[in-house]
This record gives sequence, C-alpha cells and structure tokens, in this order.
Amino acid sequence: MRDVVYMAWRYLVYNRVKTTILVLAIMLIVYLPAGLNVLVGQSAARLTARAGATPLLVGAKGSAVELTLNSLYFDSGTPELARYREAERIAESRLADAIPLYVRYRARGYPIVGTNIDYFDFRRLRLAAGRSMAVLGECVLGAAVAKDLGLEPGSSLVSSPENVFDLAGVYPLKMHVTGVLAPSFGPDDRAVFVDIKTTWIIEGLGHGHQDLDEPAAASGVLSRDGRRITANASVVQYNEITAENLDSFHFHGDFGDYPISAVLAVPRDDRAGVILQGRYENADAPAQILRPGIVIDDLLATVLTIRSFVVAAMLIVGSGTLVTVALVFLLSLRLRRRELETLLKIGGARSRVAAVLCTEVVVVLVLGAVLAAGLTGVTRRLGAEAIQRFILS
Amino acid sequence: MIRINDLQFGYREGDFSLRVADLRIDKGATVAVIGPSGSGKTTLLNLMAGIALPRAGRVSTNGVEITALDDRARREFRIANIGLVFQEFELLEYLSVLDNILLPYRITPALHLDRVVRERAEDLARQVGIADKLVRLVKRLSHGERQRVAVCRALLTQPALLLADEPTGNLDPVNRDRVLDFLFDYSRSAGATLVTVTHDRDLLGRFASVIDMKSFQDLPEEVAS
Amino acid sequence: MITTADRGDVFRASVLLVVLALAGCAPDGGSAMPPGEPDAAAPLSVYTVNYPLQYFAQRIGGDRVNVVFPAPADIDPAFWRPVPDTIVAYQQADLILLHGAEYAKWIKSASLPAARTVDTSVGIRDQLIPIEDAVTHGHGPAGEHSHQGYAFTTWLDPGLAVEHARAILDAFVEARPQDGPAFRAGFTALEADLVELDRQFERWAQAVADTPVIFSHPVYQYLTRRYGLNAVSLHWEPNEMPDESQWRRLEVLIHDRGGRWIIWEDHPVEAIAERLRSSGSQSVVLPTCANTPHEGDYLAAMQRGITALKRIGDVRTVP
Repeated sequence: MRDVVYMAWRYLVYNRVKTTILVLAIMLIVYLPAGLNVLVGQSAARLTARAGATPLLVGAKGSAVELTLNSLYFDSGTPELARYREAERIAESRLADAIPLYVRYRARGYPIVGTNIDYFDFRRLRLAAGRSMAVLGECVLGAAVAKDLGLEPGSSLVSSPENVFDLAGVYPLKMHVTGVLAPSFGPDDRAVFVDIKTTWIIEGLGHGHQDLDEPAAASGVLSRDGRRITANASVVQYNEITAENLDSFHFHGDFGDYPISAVLAVPRDDRAGVILQGRYENADAPAQILRPGIVIDDLLATVLTIRSFVVAAMLIVGSGTLVTVALVFLLSLRLRRRELETLLKIGGARSRVAAVLCTEVVVVLVLGAVLAAGLTGVTRRLGAEAIQRFILS
Repeated sequence: MIRINDLQFGYREGDFSLRVADLRIDKGATVAVIGPSGSGKTTLLNLMAGIALPRAGRVSTNGVEITALDDRARREFRIANIGLVFQEFELLEYLSVLDNILLPYRITPALHLDRVVRERAEDLARQVGIADKLVRLVKRLSHGERQRVAVCRALLTQPALLLADEPTGNLDPVNRDRVLDFLFDYSRSAGATLVTVTHDRDLLGRFASVIDMKSFQDLPEEVAS
Repeated sequence: MITTADRGDVFRASVLLVVLALAGCAPDGGSAMPPGEPDAAAPLSVYTVNYPLQYFAQRIGGDRVNVVFPAPADIDPAFWRPVPDTIVAYQQADLILLHGAEYAKWIKSASLPAARTVDTSVGIRDQLIPIEDAVTHGHGPAGEHSHQGYAFTTWLDPGLAVEHARAILDAFVEARPQDGPAFRAGFTALEADLVELDRQFERWAQAVADTPVIFSHPVYQYLTRRYGLNAVSLHWEPNEMPDESQWRRLEVLIHDRGGRWIIWEDHPVEAIAERLRSSGSQSVVLPTCANTPHEGDYLAAMQRGITALKRIGDVRTVP
C-alpha cells in the first residue's frame, strides 16, 4: 500500500501543474454548492435568529419587509414613518414594553439608531468600554464602528447631512462618544446608538439656542406678545450639546407627533401579545403590527427557492466539470500508455499498476475535497457576516 | 536455461509469422540475436520473457514452462527471474534514479522492498558510476547514464536471465562498451544467461553465440555456452 | 526507506491537511455574554427624583427595597441637574420613580429606560394645575410655542400623595409579585398616616376659614386647592431680602385683602422676619419637603408644619 501511494504521489508532484488544476477543479465542484449552502444556511440562521428574538414590530402601514429590514438590520431604506404616540400607546396599554426606533440618519456611513436604554437590555448588549449615553447628544458605538473609525469614549462623531444640497435641511450634530459596545456579531456592531430625542435634534425638531428672554438675544426676536416670544431665523442654534448649553435644548410641540420608524414591542406574556396584535388588525388602525420572524421566513423562502435553482445549476456545471476531469484522466492514461506497458513488461502486477492509477485519482479527489472542506469551514466562520454586510450595505 | 519447442507465433494483423522448431540456450550463455528489421528479434525476446504467448508450442525458461502459466504467474516469474533492458531505456520520468532502480520491487506484491534491497540498489549504482545521482530525476541524466539506470533496474532482482533489446542502440561508443561490459560482467559473475538483440555486427565477437532470425525458417539450432 | 525528497513532500502535505482541518473545525465567533438574571432575593433597587417619592417608596417597600434619591440635600430637586454618572446610576436601577407634572427638568434631556420608569402621577394627570405665567417662545409666526408647565408640589395634597403612593405600590407589586402582601401592608400603613395628615390639615383649614394668607412662593397650589384656602403667592426667597417694589406689593396685598400671615418654605433670614414683624406681619414655616428635611422625615416635617400653621388664627389642637 505504501508503495502504491508513493508511486501515485510522485507522479502527482511531478505533474504539479496538472495536479493543481485538477485539485482546484474538484475543490470548486465540491465547494461551490457546499459553500453556498453554508452561506445561505448561516445567513438564514442569523436573520432568523435575530428576527425570532424580536417579538413584535409596530410601524406605519406599508412594506412589511422594509419595516423589518430597517428595524432589525438598520437597512438604509427608511420605511414610512410612524408617530411616537404609537410607542406611548403601547406602553400605556401595559401589554408590552415599547422600545422606539428611529433609523434614518447616518454618521460617516454608519446608521444612527435612535432608541432608548431598554434596547441594550433587550438585545443583551454589553459595554466593552465607557458608559451608556446619559444625556442628549451622547452616543454609544457598535464594536465595528469604533474599530473602523478609531473612536473610543471621549471621542466625537458628527452626523452626516441628509442631503448636501439642501441648505435648509438636517444639520450635522456633533455627538460625544460615551461608550463602545462589546461585539455581538450582528448588525448592532455597525450602528451608532443615541437616545431617540437626539435623533429628533438631528432632524431639527429639537434644538438649543440663546435664551430669547435675555437682552443678548434681542437680535433673534421677531416679536413679543405678553409672555410669548417669537424668534426669527437669525437666532443662533447650537450644533453640539455641551454641559453648558444642555439646558437650552428643548422641543416644540407634542412628542406624540414626532416621527419614528418603528416600535419594538416586547409583550408581557403571550396573551398580552395576542391582545396587542388584535388591536392593530382593524383596517382603520393607524399602524401595522407584524412578527419579524414570519416576515423573514417568507423572505428566506424566496431566497431558498432561488438557492435551489442556483445549487441545481452548480450541480449541472459541476457534473460537466467532473466529466471533463474524468476525460483528463483518461487522456493522460493514453499519454502514459508506454509507461504502463513498460511496467507490465518488466512484470508489474496488473492489480498494482491499476492501484497506482486509482490512487492518483483518489488523491486528487481527496485533496480537492479537503480543500473544499477547509474553504467551507472558512466560509462558515467568515462568509455569512461578510455577505450580510454586503447585502445590507 | 531456455528451451523453445514447436513454436508458432503470428500477430492478428499483418503477415508476420515466426516458427521455431527447436531452440536451446544453456545457462550462462551469452547470445546475440541478429536479423533484418521485422524478422522477429524483439518478438523472440518477448516470447522468452513470457510477455507474448505463441499460438502453438512451448517455451521453458529456467526449467519453468512459462507458456503453461497464467498471466499473473508469468508476471511474477518474469519480475523475479528475468531482467529486461530496452533500447529506449523505458524509465519513469517522474521518479528519481534510485526509485527507477527500485521499480520492480514497488510494482508487484511478489517482491518485498527492504533495507537489503535498497543497499543492493545503491551498490549497483556505485558499480555503474551513478551513485552520486540517486536523488535526481532521470530526465536530468545523459543517455548513457539513463541506460545504466535501466541496467541497474534489470539486475536488482538478481535475475537468472537477462534479455536486452538493443541496449546500446542509442549510446555513444564509450557508453556502449561500458553498458556491455556491465552486462557481461554480471553474466559471468552470476552465471546468468544473457540474450541480446543487436544491429551492431562489431559486437558479435563478444558473444559466445549468435542467433540469426533468418535461420528459423528451416533448421533447428542448439546453442551451447 | 523514504528519501529526503519524499520526507519533504509528505511533511508539506501533512501541514496543509492539518491547517485545513483546523480551519474547518474552528468554532464560530462567540456571542456576547448573557446578562446575569436579577437576584430575586436582593432588595429592589429604586431611584427617585425627589424626597417625597423616596419616603413613600421606603414606607411601602421596607427592607425589600433600597431607595436612593441622589440629589444633594441643599438643592431644589425640580431644578437639579445630575451629572452623567448619576444618570447612569439611575439607568441601572430596577425601578425609577418619576413624579410627573414635568417635574425634574433634567429628565427631558436624559436617557432613561422606559420599561423600568414609572410616572407616579399617571392617575392624577387630570388634577394637575397648569402654571399660567411661564415665558414661552416659538420660531417663526407659525411655529409651535413651548408648553407652559404644571405646578408640581402635589405631595402637599395628602389625597394626591396617596395616589403617588398607590402608583408606587403597583410598580413594586409588578416587579416583585412575591412580596405583594408586604408591599400592600406598607402602603396601608402609609395611607393611614396620609389620611390622618389630611384630617389635621382639614381641621386647621376649617379653623382658619377664610383667613387670608400669603405664601412666600407659588409652591402651595395643591394645598390651597385641597383646603380651599384664601391665599395668594409672592415670589420671595427666604434667604434673599426683597427689594422695595416687592415690599410695596406686599403692603398693597395686605391693604387689599387683609391678613398678616406669611407662610414660608423655610425660615426667612432674620432681617426679613424682623421687617415683617415691624410691619405687623407674622411668619410661619410649612416646608415643601421636596428634598430631605433637616430633621425627621416627611411626616414629621408635615406635623411640624401643621403645628406652626395652627398659630394662624391662634388655633388650638383638638385631638
């Protein structure tokens, strides 16, 4: 046996280019469908896990997929906006805890997630450094954001203008980094978390400026009517919230009218969840409620169907490649006819000569399969996250 | 050593026909086989080695009627008892010099490759002057060196019969003499029978006897050492 | 015997296979550590935004709660601004008790966990008193104007105080159902004390009838409403000498309405008290107890206040 393997190995090493090409071909034949299966399976598992861990989502009526992707994966497409009073309504019902989400703005390419402290408890996110945000203008970074941008507690990060050409639009807000989350190997790693009120300040619904009752702010006063002061557009608004100007920040109007992208509803129990869902099933309800797990399952069913087609196509191509590989082996046998005749002439056993040839084939197949297995393992470790990032970027 | 009786051989295609009524070669004899192209010199060697089988007749080598053996038995007999040397060397390009010499021990379960065999191979290489090239691939050797490797391979099993088909046909005179000397030395020292096909009439004087293929048409011949 | 060339190839092949095998067998990246489950045996950690809530919570919870009100003792909690580290401490509490009525201005700009935050005024929102004289502003002719705000010293109305306490009880029972009986017992005892306090205030109010009184500061709205007091408010501070225009306004008030009793949140400085006495006015102290009293607790401070109030109209205590 050792001699057989030795002879086969020496032949393969001598013809290393041909051997390498054959091994790579086998590797691809095995890896492509296997790797795709792993990628899709892992991605599906991750998507499903995160969606399954989110009991209910409430948002404006519209695309359920868009609402789910934006709320769970902070996808760049902002769904139809709902009102904050949906969160207030759910909280007052005592049926569920209501975690508001407002995912619309970005900071250096990363989504700014406006929410509240409950979100970290819900997602079981822990701090690796610093502390959570305490006041307006503070932010907590996902692990990947901090690493990519080289930021740490004490650094600052400016929100991006929504539209560089819209001078009257959203102004950049300089936010203070107070903490960095530990890696959670999900979308939270690539997000910037702020209190939802900070998001409203970015939008311009809240702001800070000089006290209009003070003489120094006189140039910013449009009119006075008793104790009601109307400011003009020249009043200076702060684009950074500091300890000194924090008290000047305020909001106009009712919070209930302020925009959000979704509410993460965590029911107190199953019965409360059913009751809550029932309240939104009325066609006149102002918002929709959905179970992210079902939305993702439906989405994945489509993806998995596509995957089946792709795998079938790969298998067909793979079969063709396998036939080609077999042809290569047969042609090389023809080229080696003289060598084989010599071996037989000098008295070599037919079985042993055949064993050497078969071993060459087996070694190529095994090497190809081992490489494919290794690549599949690497894909299992790194691929799903990379693909998810690619899809969601 | 070799006995051929009432042999008739022909290929399926073509008109070639070989008939040997009676041929005897004694043990230790050195025999040259001559004849025009197509006269069946190589075929005769193949018949002696059991590589080819006659339509009729018997071939016995070293007391064994090889025409009565099955394919597997003939192979095992051949690889253990008969050394073959070819004009085109017939070495495996992807093996080293040493591995080519050891080849018979790797391609049959009838022989066992051990330290004794390896030492014998290295000794043979030393005798022919290629001991410093054992780990090289054969494609890096000259024609003379390659043929010496082929000769070592043929002698590794210490065969009783050496069949060489134009072993010096592709060699220069110096290497030709060197290879022939080695073959004759082995035949002498081991008492092995040497049968060599050659076109070179200048070499005939070195052989004890000559077989002319033209003679197989009519007359029986007995060859003594 | 394997030659040197053989060994090299075999070794390289082995290394390659081991590396590939390890790559395939490497475990997936780890997930974040799950948080520890709250210890059901440890006291419930409770943070409040003022002293009355702290008192009520401690009375209701007993040793099953650990109530913290971290503001310094010399600061008005309504205008206190905690540092971020203190806000983080609030975030880590099991429960955060808010007063409601837009009390504690710092809350609007802070990040607190809504799921663990309780607005103890949720049952009395329709009884809150809006403030009429706040300065508001808006942006542009059509812009929204900021909200005016509410009076926030609801705990000076024992009836509303009971409702705050009831909200605290509900929150405690929801958080620790197994301690429900103990919490209810604590609430019942507190309620009894507050009802008794209410009774004493009522008796005093009946005794003074329509005697005009002047509050040094507009922080007694709920007391006034509950007991139908004939009262107006100044904007005086006990440690700041009023200016002459303020003294004149006082004189006008006294001239128009009568009544010479000034009810203060805290003892006025001697200069103020002396001038008041020289003009025929008297001072009594009814602390608002927004922050921790200098001595005793909320009930003791209220008792002292009632005792001082009884000087108005020279009312004697009738058990």
